[in-house]
Amino acid sequence: MVAPVGGRAIALAEVPDAVFAQHMVGPGAAIDPVRGPGVVVSPVSGILVKLKPHAFVVTAEDGRGVLVHLGIDTVNLDGGGFVLLAEEGRVVPAGAPVIRWNPAAVEAAGLSPVCPVIALDADRAAAEALAGSVALGPVRAGDRLFTWA
Amino acid sequence: MQRTVTVASRVGLHARPAAVFVKAASAASLPVTIAKEGKDPVSARSILAVLGLDVRGGEDVVLEAEGDGADEILERLADLLTEDLEG
Repeated sequence: MVAPVGGRAIALAEVPDAVFAQHMVGPGAAIDPVRGPGVVVSPVSGILVKLKPHAFVVTAEDGRGVLVHLGIDTVNLDGGGFVLLAEEGRVVPAGAPVIRWNPAAVEAAGLSPVCPVIALDADRAAAEALAGSVALGPVRAGDRLFTWA
Repeated sequence: MQRTVTVASRVGLHARPAAVFVKAASAASLPVTIAKEGKDPVSARSILAVLGLDVRGGEDVVLEAEGDGADEILERLADLLTEDLEG
């Protein structure tokens, strides 16, 4: 799984939202993004099964899904400041542009721009292995973020 | 056994409300499905499947379970959906 945005990779526990921080959506990691206009890329090659301005889900060939959520409570921005660069239902390679946004603008709107990247429906063993594989610290979009074996 | 319920969460069953719902469905003793009216049901235990439904606030969904205790399980899950899970 590659980083969808550049910034600093952090543990999910640091996400300022209890449901994400407690792994209720699933295991994964989060990225505190570089503040400024940027492009969000797909973390994995697959089908863009859901595309919203503030979030998307990609399912890999084996059917496993990954959620990328751009900021916290950003559904309330109703798409303002987000530009879609891909189409729902299409195949996207890992690293392909999906959304253009500006984390600084999200922050200026009073919201956290932290981006959870979540493995959906991972079982307990996979979740534990994944947690140990997260590459914490500075990260560029397209760098390896975690391994979902 | 089926139960139709209107999703209260203003933003619909997106990441956080969906996670709360799937966690509750996963804890239930019987498999439960969820569907938009007239559409194919999906497992309520799969966050991927539930996010894929793309349920909006105010939309109706159909919950279904069969077996002993299905009534109580559907009641509990329906109550969850009629709360504003964003709250």
